[in-house]
Formats: sequence, C-alpha cells, structure tokens
Amino acid sequence: MRAIFTIAFREWRTLFQSPLAWTLLAVLFAISAYLFNSMIHYYNQLQMQIRMSGYGGDQIQELPFTEVAISPMLGNTAIILLLIMPMITMRLIADEKRRDTWPALACSPLSPMQIILGKYLGLLLFLLVTVLLLSLLPLSIMPYASPDMGQVISGFLGLFLLAASFGAVGLAASSSTDNPIVASVSTFGILLGLWIISWMGGEISGSAGAIFSYLSLIDHYQPFLSGVISSTDLFYFILLSVAGLLFARQRLMAERING
Amino acid sequence: MSEKMIEILGLSRRFGQTQALDNINLEVNRGEVMGFLGPNGAGKTTAMRILSGLLSPSSGHVRVAGMDILNEPIKVRQSIGFLPETPPIYGEMTVREYLTYLASLRGVGKGALKQSVNDAMDRCGLTAVSHRLLRNLSKGYRQRAGIAQAIVHKPDIVILDEPTVGLDPIQIREIRKLIRELGGEHSVLLSTHILPEVQMTCDRVSVINNGRIVAQDTLAGLEARQKAAKGLRFVWDNPPDDATLQSIPGVAELQTDGDAKLIIPNKNQDPRAELVKRSVENNWGLLELRPVEHSLEEIFVQLTTMEPQGNNTEVSQ
Repeated sequence: MRAIFTIAFREWRTLFQSPLAWTLLAVLFAISAYLFNSMIHYYNQLQMQIRMSGYGGDQIQELPFTEVAISPMLGNTAIILLLIMPMITMRLIADEKRRDTWPALACSPLSPMQIILGKYLGLLLFLLVTVLLLSLLPLSIMPYASPDMGQVISGFLGLFLLAASFGAVGLAASSSTDNPIVASVSTFGILLGLWIISWMGGEISGSAGAIFSYLSLIDHYQPFLSGVISSTDLFYFILLSVAGLLFARQRLMAERING
Repeated sequence: MSEKMIEILGLSRRFGQTQALDNINLEVNRGEVMGFLGPNGAGKTTAMRILSGLLSPSSGHVRVAGMDILNEPIKVRQSIGFLPETPPIYGEMTVREYLTYLASLRGVGKGALKQSVNDAMDRCGLTAVSHRLLRNLSKGYRQRAGIAQAIVHKPDIVILDEPTVGLDPIQIREIRKLIRELGGEHSVLLSTHILPEVQMTCDRVSVINNGRIVAQDTLAGLEARQKAAKGLRFVWDNPPDDATLQSIPGVAELQTDGDAKLIIPNKNQDPRAELVKRSVENNWGLLELRPVEHSLEEIFVQLTTMEPQGNNTEVSQ
C-alpha cells in the first residue's frame, strides 16, 4: 500500500513539474473560461428577450442559470478534455520505457497492479485538482446569480468521473507501447470512438442500437449535467475505468512473457 | 563459502524463432563476484533480465536466495538490485530524491530510509552531488547513481549489466574498484565483454556464447589455462622446411606466422635446447626466440568461436 502511494505522489509531482501538463491546463482553463463567459452573455440576452416579450405577465420569469450557462460549459469542457487527456496520460508508462527508467520500477518488489494503481492514483489526484480549479468558474458568479448547487455538483462529479475513465483508457494505451505518441493517438481514437458511438446507436434500432447507446460516453455524461446521478451511469464510468486498469495490468504481465 | 545465492538450472528462453538462452546452468555463491563474459548478443542481458524479474523463462529453474523466481517473484525482487545497460535515471530528480524514491518502493522502512540513502551515496561517492539534478550529472556519476539504486535497499544480490561501457578510463577504474568492494557484502553478477575487467574484479567467470555456457572457472583456473597454452616463437634467417622442424623431438605443433614459426611444445618435453643446437649446426641463422603466452583474450576468442557441438560445456570448479 505504501508503495502505491509513493508512486502516486511521485506521479502527481511529475505531472505538475512538466511544462506539458501546465500548457494543457492553461489551454483547458482559457477555453473553458471563454466558453463560460459567452454562455453568461447568452444567458443575459435570453433573459432580456423574455422580459421584453412580457411573457409570463407581471411575474418576471428567471431562466434556470445552471441549465443555460453552466451545463453547456461543462459539456464543452468534456470535449476539450477528450482532446487533451491523451496527451496527459501518454507518458504514464510509455515514457518510462522510452527513457529506460522502466526497469527501476519493474525490478522493484511490486506487483503489476501496484504499479498501475500507483500511476492511476497519481493521475486521479491531478484530475481532482483540475476539476476543483474548474469549479472556480461557476463559484465566481455566485454573488450575481443563483445556480442550482445540486446540479452544479452533479455536473462536476460527472466531469471528474469522465476524466477518470479517460485516464484509465489512456493508462491502458500507455502500457501497451514504448512510444508516447502512439499511446496518445490510440487513446484519442478509443475515446472519440466511444464518444460518437451513440450516433450509430440512434441509426440502428433494436438491441444492437441499445448496446451502442449503452457504450456511449456522452449518453452517460449528459444525465450528470442535468443533475441526475443514476447508478447505471456511475457504474458505466467505474466499469470503464476498471477495464482500463485491468487491461494495463494484463499488458504488463504479458510483457514479462513476450519480452 | 558455499551458500548459493543464485542457482540457474537448465534455463532456456526463446524469442519467437530465436533461442536466446539454451539450457544454461550457473551458480553464484554468497559474497562472490561472478563475471559473466561473452560477446555482444550472446545472451548475457537476457539472462540478467530473467534473474531480475523483467522476463520470465521459457523453461528451467531459477532460484535466487533460495526462492524460486516463478513462485515468489516479489520476494525475490526484494533481494535483488539490478543495473541495466542504460542506467534507469529520472533526470528531473536530484540524486537524493531518486534514491529515496526507489528505496521506499523497495520496502526500506521510513525510519531507515535516510540512513540507507546516505549509505548508498557514500559507497558510490555521490554525497557531494546529492542535491544536483541527475540530468545535469556526467555519465560517470549517472552510472554511479545507477549502481547506488541497485544497492540502496541492501539486496543480497547485485546484478550489473556492462557497468563500465562508455566511461572514460579514470571512471572505469573507479567503478571497478567499487564493484570489487561490493563483493563480500553482496553477491555480484557482472556482465561484460571486457576481459581485463573480469581479471580485476571477479572471483569466478562464466563464459557464455550463443546462449550457452561454454566455460565456467575460477579466475586462477583461467589463468592456469593461459599459462598452459604457451608457444615458442622462432625467427630464422634461412628457415628450415617444416618437415625438418616437425621431426625434432618435443615439437607438437607448428604454425607459420609471416617470417616467424610458432612452435607449440610437447607438454613433457622442451624442444628449445635442441632447436638452438640444430640452428647453430645447420647455420639456420637464429634471429629470435621467445615464449608466447596465450592472452586471456585468445582463450576467450577460442571459447566463443568454437563450433557448437553436442557437448561443449566444460565446467571445472
């Protein structure tokens, strides 16, 4: 257990020490903030139009701020994450192999699962910090608007779970190669595939369509943004993460056999 | 001096069609420095990767510190320190951070951590650079850091894969001295293709070629072979024909090397006096006579270029 935390802590530090992670975070925050800002403008416009139209009579209707501004921002942030997560996870294991530091870990008295869990835990800590920092955006509007806190929290929980499952897929890809770029490209391919698979789910009817819909990342993320936390969606993200970790462990074990 | 720290029995390893290791046997006793000698591509690295748990064997048994590597892989790795050919260095860490990180991964308790790291740095001469980033250190220091990470958890067995490659002569000398010092406390398996290195550092030697152990001997044994393989080099102004030379008692073998004749004497009969006497009598004009010793290099080349035969494994202890 101590070894897992040792690896996790080091991984977390390495991420925050690398210029790549900072650059990616800067891009994520800049674009999310810009999107959030334009959502607020959009909200104000809508609000204005409703008042001018006099709809609702004397009682002036308040538009749901979370629904109009925060949830769409989280939806877009997820797409940016889809683009940058492969670049954050690519180095987890592949880079150790490329830089020949892997034997130092692999010769240590650790099981493959301990190495994988350590790496993953370090990544989760990094993602937790990222999501917490992103939550500053809606918090900054608190004095001026009254977002539905339950829905905001549900949205950010969804974002964290989504990022965590992206991370597990990335870790699986990174453990399968000694080339970080290959890991990054294949992670992106898998994630994008899982993102758009629901488009096919819509086309195909019957049970095949249902399976495609079930596999889709976006179909399980969307409910969180609407404030619905269902066990099906929770289970989906946990399942995807566990599958990623088990695959990575399998790769490391096979490596000893295949050389 | 007979507790076996490494026991390899009938170990084989295949990579697809390639037989990297073919039924090798090897034993390393406690506190001994064993040289693992062979040309590039002979299988040294494969054997070391199997010992350190990076690869699994195709067949055969490997016991380390009395434990089977397949049954107790994690415990085995606790008692092994491995320096691969390229030292596994995290450039963005300082020497102290690096050793502390790896020591704690290898189960050194929190209380003993600082002491273990200090000991390892002290032994490898790293104390003066403990606060510097590894990527800024010279190759020699990085190699030392690599050795330090292999001994930081005080393993019984230290495995070093070509630790002196690419270093300058002064660094090489220092690293060899360090390896020499490691023996006694740790059992060391040292792979190299440099013979003087073996002469300077090892107690025993295994020579591997094409995935097979072709000789295993003490250093004294190898040196004895070196003396046994003595030849005599003659240069004459008007050399006699070969048949005449071969008829002289005591001449076992005759080779021509440019102007010189190389004579391998019979074990029990020294032909030198007779050859000199005849030279004078027949006016051959003796210009040079000197004994030629087979260098270790030649023994090595001889061992590693032998045609693979059914049973070319000589083991003498």
